[in-house]
Amino acid sequence: MRMRYTFELFREYLGNYIKTKLTYRADFWVEVVSDLMFSLMNLIFIFIVFQHTPSLGDWSEAEVVFVYGYFMIAQGVFSCFTNLWNFGDRYIIKGEMDRVLTRPAHSLAQVMLENVDPPSLIGSLVGLGIMGAAWAKLGLTFNWYDPIVLIVMVIGSVLIYTGLYTTLAAISFYSDSPTGIIPLMYNIQSYGRYPIQIYNKGIRFLLTWVLPFAFVGVYPASFFLERHADRTMAWLTPVVGLIVGAIGLIVWNRGVKRYRGAGS
Amino acid sequence: MLAIDVRQLRKQFNVQKNREGLKGAMLDLFKREHTQVTAVKDISFQIPQGEICGYIGENGAGKSTTIKMLTGILVPTSGHIEVNGYVPFRDREKFVQGIGVVFGQRSQLWWDIGVIESFRLLRKVYRVSEDDFKRRLDELVETLTLGELLNRPVRKLSLGQRMRCELAAALLHNPSILFLDEPTIGLDVVVKTEIREFLKRLNREHGTTILLTTHDLQDIEALCSRVIMLDDGRIIYDGGLEELKARWGKGREVQFQFNDPIAIERLAFLTGGLDVRWSKENELTAKVWIPLEINVSDVLSRVVGTTDISDIKIFETSTEEIVREIYRTGSAETAADRIADPVRDEEAPTAQAEAVRS
Repeated sequence: MRMRYTFELFREYLGNYIKTKLTYRADFWVEVVSDLMFSLMNLIFIFIVFQHTPSLGDWSEAEVVFVYGYFMIAQGVFSCFTNLWNFGDRYIIKGEMDRVLTRPAHSLAQVMLENVDPPSLIGSLVGLGIMGAAWAKLGLTFNWYDPIVLIVMVIGSVLIYTGLYTTLAAISFYSDSPTGIIPLMYNIQSYGRYPIQIYNKGIRFLLTWVLPFAFVGVYPASFFLERHADRTMAWLTPVVGLIVGAIGLIVWNRGVKRYRGAGS
Repeated sequence: MLAIDVRQLRKQFNVQKNREGLKGAMLDLFKREHTQVTAVKDISFQIPQGEICGYIGENGAGKSTTIKMLTGILVPTSGHIEVNGYVPFRDREKFVQGIGVVFGQRSQLWWDIGVIESFRLLRKVYRVSEDDFKRRLDELVETLTLGELLNRPVRKLSLGQRMRCELAAALLHNPSILFLDEPTIGLDVVVKTEIREFLKRLNREHGTTILLTTHDLQDIEALCSRVIMLDDGRIIYDGGLEELKARWGKGREVQFQFNDPIAIERLAFLTGGLDVRWSKENELTAKVWIPLEINVSDVLSRVVGTTDISDIKIFETSTEEIVREIYRTGSAETAADRIADPVRDEEAPTAQAEAVRS
């Protein structure tokens, strides 16, 4: 019931988004193009690296590209739904949370819906294409359950991102200006899109158990990579997703109770 | 049934203390000092259904904080709060379904899309059925004359137009309580009057309970049967507007313009036996001060029949003057002393509670 309600709201907000964007059409295309440019740069970076070395810690070029493709899918879905970058500024300091809290839907759902960003999904499509191309190049077998597994994995990965960034955003409820954490996070996050085996132990531990960004990239992608298949870690993706997502939701719900409003 | 029931409500904020200078800033980096500010100090009041209640006070008196606790935005530090049968912050999502909120300084509407699109979205958010929505919208469009505005984007509306749309947006789901935080701020006289008329009508026809904060005392005079006055987080007056005037208004003044010069002694003689005070402005003008117990007409009848008068003006103490006077006399205590019993009855347990706590 509640899920359906939130889903319906999503449709409505999406409709609104489109109406708004139709008035600022140039803006829309600028955003799409800049998103794609950013991904393209990262991809080019991978190609350049592999011009100098045939393999990276036992990972071939196509495999690294495969992982990157997976990462793009998850990243695109995440960016579409969770845009909490300016949450502290906009909702806490400017007090827009007041308005959110006077409406009968979950506050986090509202904040997420108010900031939906469908152009990011184009990045997901491109990621899917990249993954497909790498798939073919690696000559991996295709099983009937692969698409279903992919969907489950992507949901898990998106939950991890969402949970982490929700937690970070919720810190704004406690501290006046937690600026600085989010860019740091964003940097660490980018490590997750390369095979984690190329890093040293410390970073591996960090990316697996502390800030589980490796579950948004190499672990779930390895499910499909026969040579690097690590089923245990792969299947941990949805589990970790649920845990991190739940933590995010709990921190948020507690944080909202501490919201102090702004100005008069 | 009570629409709003508040007892011993308190809200404290932790405020960061910034120490002075570079050294202070460095110290702040490691150990923050906090001071506790009590914005709302154990207030109690009850508002029955269908009442229009004005909530007034100077900036920083705690009005907005109270409203935000009543609407479920802020969680109170302590005390009992029940609105519409709900504890606002606990069952927030269910609770807000039954209330409407308008913050004069902040828009509820989406900036870039047409007003009607915002309304449609709110219909979904509040789960209003299509039929109810149509009926309600038609009514609001008519009473607030929104017809032409519906298809314009919000950012292209004037403040007055926007305010009317905000009101409609807050009422689409037919709430039984409407909270208004400075609804007429920055509006011109015509729009102010329109909005007041609309609110009165809403209250009359739908029995909507209305609680509004305002700095414009004309809002209060036009709308409210009851006033709650707040100063420094405490209620210093809670009662009817007429009583407020009666207690604080110091009487009325009548100015006479005579056709012929007249001696003040003669005037005093005419009103002999009445406790009035005459003063002379100039040869032809005199003023008489009449305390509230005495009817103005008694004084007039004695003067008018026997003298040749060209003009009469009656000055009543305006609410604004009364309020200014109350604030001028300062703290809640002195005000409470000066206002008669009902308020003091409420203040007394507060004082006791505070004694117990400390």
